[in-house]
Amino acid sequence: MFSKSKNILGMNARNLIYIRPNNLKSAKKLADDKLRCKRVLKKAKVPVPRLIKSIKTQEDLDNFDFSTLPNSFVLKPNFGFGGDGIMVVYGRKKGSENVWVKANRSPVTEDYLRTHIKNILDGSFSRTGTSDVAFFEERIKLYPGFKPYAFRGVPDIRIIVYNRVPVMAMMRIPTEASGGTSNLHRGGIGIGIDMATGVTTTAIQYDRVVEKSPRGLLLSGIKIPQWKDILELAIKAQNVSGLGYLGADIAIDRENGPVFMELNARPGLSIQVANQEGLLARLNRVEGLKIKTVRRGVALSQNLFGGEIEEEIEGLSGKRIIGTVEKIKIIGRNKKEIKIEAKVDTGAGFTSIDLDLAKELGFSETMEEYERIYSEQGEWKELENLSVKERGLLFKKVPYLVDTAIINSSHGTSYRPVVRVKIIMDKKVIPARITIIDRQHLKYPVIIGRRNLKQFLVEVK
Amino acid sequence: MSTEYSQLVNVALAYGVPLNTVTLILMLPIVVTIITFFRQVIGIKAFGIYTPAMITFAFFSIGVQAGDFSKGIKYGTSIFIMVILIGTLSRILMKRFRLLYLPRMAIVITLVALATLAVLMIGGFFKRTGLAGVEIFPILIMITLVEKFVSTQIEKGSRIAIILSLETLIISLISYSIIRWQPLISFVQQYPWTILLTILINIFLGHWTGLRLMEYFRFKDLISGKNVLKK
Repeated sequence: MFSKSKNILGMNARNLIYIRPNNLKSAKKLADDKLRCKRVLKKAKVPVPRLIKSIKTQEDLDNFDFSTLPNSFVLKPNFGFGGDGIMVVYGRKKGSENVWVKANRSPVTEDYLRTHIKNILDGSFSRTGTSDVAFFEERIKLYPGFKPYAFRGVPDIRIIVYNRVPVMAMMRIPTEASGGTSNLHRGGIGIGIDMATGVTTTAIQYDRVVEKSPRGLLLSGIKIPQWKDILELAIKAQNVSGLGYLGADIAIDRENGPVFMELNARPGLSIQVANQEGLLARLNRVEGLKIKTVRRGVALSQNLFGGEIEEEIEGLSGKRIIGTVEKIKIIGRNKKEIKIEAKVDTGAGFTSIDLDLAKELGFSETMEEYERIYSEQGEWKELENLSVKERGLLFKKVPYLVDTAIINSSHGTSYRPVVRVKIIMDKKVIPARITIIDRQHLKYPVIIGRRNLKQFLVEVK
Repeated sequence: MSTEYSQLVNVALAYGVPLNTVTLILMLPIVVTIITFFRQVIGIKAFGIYTPAMITFAFFSIGVQAGDFSKGIKYGTSIFIMVILIGTLSRILMKRFRLLYLPRMAIVITLVALATLAVLMIGGFFKRTGLAGVEIFPILIMITLVEKFVSTQIEKGSRIAIILSLETLIISLISYSIIRWQPLISFVQQYPWTILLTILINIFLGHWTGLRLMEYFRFKDLISGKNVLKK
């Protein structure tokens, strides 16, 4: 029992080891200031809900023309906390000017908005009770895939990022108990996420495991779209926020995809229950690593903290899985395209194609000229004695030749021409330098070698 | 009762500082250390350190004046619960007016004060004057507890506010029981410098990064691996 408890991050360790040294006061201040966060994140090309208008003073409020507001929007206090004072407006009421409706269809008039803004300005919702700023922003529209699960709000994804690696994630779903906010303290549902695939695992409500949503839907196995993009956003946000131990909150908009919602300087510990795994063990695994790029952070996260299904491996490294024989398309000179079956051979370094195929692809002149010089030299025997530079000079005038290569095959060593083509395999375009050899006696006129397999994993049947 | 005091206590007494005052001041470091221990090791949060410490001394004061340890608990707890109840009601009442924080809080405190007065009077009416006989200061301290309660309610929700109140009550009752313990009182009067040990204890607690006792319960499924997904 106690050995497993060592993997769990408790409040003491979170505060002393992770928050205190990594989240400096200035960064925490930024996290509290929603408008400044928006600016900083936007500058770093992290998508955020579009700001419609901020209202700083009574004068701003008096001068504001409410008819310029769109059909749906969100009104927020800048320094609000725990979702207090946020008003979500879903649409304009038909047939009346400047009247909108909330999720529960209750009307929102211009006067109602004015009163609410005045309360925000007075600081009724700010942590310190001092004057605040109100702002309107674009409303995040519910992603259709999440629709059956959410009650009146938008689910969001909380990701703990440490040392530029997303270490753990959970989806938070608003429920009737939480009043449409995704706050777990108030009864929202948290669901753990497999870091490799972005598929949900265990769900919890009030720190207890639940299997189904209040409407009876299974909560595990929900696929979160654009998972890699979401992980990238979380890392980018950490880079600009200065929060070394960050809770990133990201929502998914129906039209715009992942949108960054909030930075959290002291993310809660329940995420461990939702993932049925301790955070401390994961944090220790990424401690001290030098993560230079965002993509590296994503790849590491997916590799370290992912599951075991095949599809997951594909998502994990961005590599696609292919078989030992693949249908490919080769694009040669003058955009000449040929569809053909190729053998995938991880034992070969170069990709090579048959002589006849090379001619069809528009390399007839290359071959003729090459063969002429090659035979003049008494084939390989003479060439072997020349230096690399001398050999290069010898073939310099061969048209469309980019290089030459020494190929060791079952019938001895030979010296082959290298040309440039494009190969399309499993929907990926690969610019390739390939050798041309005589493969007439072989089943496949093309073998794809290691040099062009970097984006793939080969499954041997 | 032992009358052997340490040099320090004797000097204080000679300069006219009452024994009760010296003792309570020496008890304060012990009380706050108990509170930090509860927070860091057990995981009972309560309302920070100030509120439970004050409530502890309010219990103490009520108990001393009523001349009975159990009355301190009885009266103290009833006032505590009453303050929480009236505080909640007043907050619900004040919600619709949307006032600024401080004026709203002032009204809530006023309502709690009036309710307390009413309770004292009703007690008198039923010839239960024990509580009314208690000096007002501990009661005032209890009343101001409502600010902490209401502000927590606003920030973190009613559920957490009630949990934290109960935790405060529990810690205060435990601390009260400890500082009313005669052997401890005598010990502190004899060896007042030993309270400096609490500093060492707090340095240790300040570096403590282990799981809190309550977290073993919170994460018990994780530790036992009960719900690990079937792969």
